[in-house]
Amino acid sequence: MSSLATAPATKKEARPRRSQLPYAMLAILAVVVVGVLLAQISPQLSTMWIFGLAFGFVLQRSRFCFTASLRDPVLTGSTSLTKAVIIAFAVASVGFAAIQYNAFLAGAKTIPGHISPAGWHTAIGATLFGIGMVIAGGCASGTLMRMGEGFVMQWIAIIGFIIGSLWGIHDYGWWKATFMDKSPTVFLPQVLGWPLAFFGQLALLGALYLLAEWYGQRSKI
Amino acid sequence: MAEVRLDCYGEACPIPLLKAEKKMKELKTGDVLIVETDHSCAIKNVPEWARKKGYLVDIEETGEGTWDIRIEKTA
Repeated sequence: MSSLATAPATKKEARPRRSQLPYAMLAILAVVVVGVLLAQISPQLSTMWIFGLAFGFVLQRSRFCFTASLRDPVLTGSTSLTKAVIIAFAVASVGFAAIQYNAFLAGAKTIPGHISPAGWHTAIGATLFGIGMVIAGGCASGTLMRMGEGFVMQWIAIIGFIIGSLWGIHDYGWWKATFMDKSPTVFLPQVLGWPLAFFGQLALLGALYLLAEWYGQRSKI
Repeated sequence: MAEVRLDCYGEACPIPLLKAEKKMKELKTGDVLIVETDHSCAIKNVPEWARKKGYLVDIEETGEGTWDIRIEKTA
């Protein structure tokens, strides 16, 4: 780093910066007030409020990005975010397995979680979303987080997001009749049994992680 | 020991990284590329790329939400 330190400093003059601490205090106060008000309606709402804010905070500070995780291997050869997303999937798998297995043991009639048919609608939706998210500069969580950061591009992207969602809901009946009702719903523990489904999924994620690691090392373009 | 400034203000990811990659090819060993960006993703993916290539990287926050990423081409 020595040559950077002794290079002639042609840096721009740093403008004197106003402290953002008063804004931070006001924001924290607002968060607490809203949290308390929501708790009066239902404690679950308050939990969701805090969880949502915490999730957004972590997302912003870590610069975790689902869009980059899938775009970068193709565009720049970087897989650091891809590996991060795989880890996130693994952690979620463990958590959801715990919740679902618990429900199963308790004899619940339906297993909690989104267990839906997978078919052409999934492939078409994924392709559309993938193209859109790279152009829009974010997926659902990334767009919301960047709106908070002040990026106007995402304020415009959210409009498209809302239009797309409403359009999808409007045509939901057609998608259901044409694809979803004809597609299988596969719940792995039901097909493979709990141990094989759980450990098999983790093993598969591990293999994908190693593949991402290899690919990332390889493309030293 | 040339210093080249690359203005990426207003560009969304991954544009600053792609521009930096292209510009870096034109530079000679010992030159410094300064990527000026206001996109917070860039201060993660540009240094990551630069370090992977073996370049020296330094990030300076020049204002609220604007950064100068100094990359020295070491080889």
